[in-house]
Amino acid sequence: MILFRHMDSEKIYLLGKKALAIRKHVVQMVARHGRGYVQQGLGAADLFTVLFFDELRLKIEDPDWPYRDRLILSTAHNSAVFYAVLAEKGLIPLDSLESYCVDGSDLEINVSERLGTMVEATCGSLGQGMSVAIGMGISARRKKISSRFYVILGDGELQEGQTWEAIMSAATWKLSNLCLVVDCNGMQVDGDVEKVMMMEPLGEKFEAFGWNVLTAEGNDINHLLSSFKEAKNCENQPSVILAKTLVGKGVPFLEGQLSHNLIFPADAAKRALEALE
Amino acid sequence: MRKINLHLGDFTEKSNVKLVPRYYGEALCRLAERNEKIVALCADLAPPTETDLFRDRYPDRFFMMGIAEANMVGVASGMARMGDVPFVHSFCVFLTRRAYDQVAMQVAYPKSNVKLIGFLPGLTTLLGVSHQAIDDIALMRALPNMCVIEPCGPEQIDSAVNAAMDYDGPVYLRLNRAETELSSDTKIKKLDIGKVEITRKGDDLVIFACGIMLRKAESAAQILSESGIETTVVNVHTIKPIDDQKICELVSHCGATITAENHSIIGGLGDAVSKALNEKNISIAVNRVGIKDSFAEGGSTPYLLNKYGLETQDIVNKALKVLKQNIKVSYT
Repeated sequence: MILFRHMDSEKIYLLGKKALAIRKHVVQMVARHGRGYVQQGLGAADLFTVLFFDELRLKIEDPDWPYRDRLILSTAHNSAVFYAVLAEKGLIPLDSLESYCVDGSDLEINVSERLGTMVEATCGSLGQGMSVAIGMGISARRKKISSRFYVILGDGELQEGQTWEAIMSAATWKLSNLCLVVDCNGMQVDGDVEKVMMMEPLGEKFEAFGWNVLTAEGNDINHLLSSFKEAKNCENQPSVILAKTLVGKGVPFLEGQLSHNLIFPADAAKRALEALE
Repeated sequence: MRKINLHLGDFTEKSNVKLVPRYYGEALCRLAERNEKIVALCADLAPPTETDLFRDRYPDRFFMMGIAEANMVGVASGMARMGDVPFVHSFCVFLTRRAYDQVAMQVAYPKSNVKLIGFLPGLTTLLGVSHQAIDDIALMRALPNMCVIEPCGPEQIDSAVNAAMDYDGPVYLRLNRAETELSSDTKIKKLDIGKVEITRKGDDLVIFACGIMLRKAESAAQILSESGIETTVVNVHTIKPIDDQKICELVSHCGATITAENHSIIGGLGDAVSKALNEKNISIAVNRVGIKDSFAEGGSTPYLLNKYGLETQDIVNKALKVLKQNIKVSYT
């Protein structure tokens, strides 16, 4: 038991280091352009790290492996953190991050599948990712493929009606191979999600729709690890992890600042990097 | 009082569906028997999309998605990404207007091998503006990677379904259900995607038609022939990719050009033919028979086709005007 604890703490330490490296990439990638999706990237870095470095079954040498788990990024604009984690994982070259948002680059500001298989669907028009994952999940089950299907979507994104169509259908099909992660960062373009539209009580809403509902501290790696494990053990129901994240996490002067498309001049980026050291 | 020709089978399961032939449903089942990859999705319209046949024969490959077209289209894309070939069913108007963004992003952009099967084209429904797809060809034509097919009638449905299956990529199939059985001597028509079919030859005029308008164009050609005007009639079953080469050849030969479609004159077959001619520097008026930039209304199909100018006599009158002929013709 002590040994397991030691292994867990070692794993959490290593994942934390990885998340830190990813946060630094996010700052550097956006800093080149003076403006971008810094806040949500820093907020979701732990989530992406746990998914790619612990949860998803992937083959780095064979990205098209048919039995891989799939992650669909429905919030396709949260691209800096996504590319950073792909690069750290070895799915795209580290130096390609320099081409983020450069004209002609595959690393577009909204993630597109022209980058390759690791972008399982092109989203960005919000509300669409979960439906695609449901189709994949139904198809996999019909073929007895044991892959799991993960979707990251935003709490503001749940204002899109299509997400509730999808929520109903996933429960109808009892898709236990589906794990939805709501990045509850409380932020959308026009500010505070709850002020734009009454979303709470989200957990009760999902429960009423027939889902297995888990709530996690989205910046607590240990908590995320146990939530994903719990989701995997659920049978006959899709699972949702409501992951409460803090925008700007890791950079004290940015934490909690609700800015969807942050103006990020060079001196702010420099200070942010220093804070992450 | 005018007798309205109700088609209850369009929206109720327990009506006389068995009396209505189901050429599409049978064709899909035949194909599914040979190809296990085919799955069918439907948004609460199994009988009127004839997918109840598929549902009963292949229950594990049929997915009822409820009244939620946007989700259905996304789900189909996910299935296609896993190697299935989803046939997605609803009325034309809901597959196009309601789920347009989903079709664009999850079907057209990634070239998903999804077949969108729409029913009730144009004015073929009494259900009014909410159900009348008068702009679906325009919407689907505008999407890159999308193939748009409208067979001319039940005699071409089987070929259309097979052609859609053989085409590796997204297809929008615009279908009108047959009301009665085809007579036993009806010749089944082939459908080669992107190749027009010439059904009648003449030198004075060419009429390009799709869907239910083909028969009306043929009737118009017969009437015109009795007045000495010889018409070429062309079945443009594939509106995209369009057969520009053959269209240009026929127009160059005949001169006077008419298009006939059960759709708005904006963005449909007429525009597709115009574009083909324009790109080859053929400068000629394309005279459109179709719905003239207006919404229609609830009513029987014969009433609506007559009121909105989609009848045989509308084609004949257009032809006479184009040819500057002052001839009186008789309609029998």
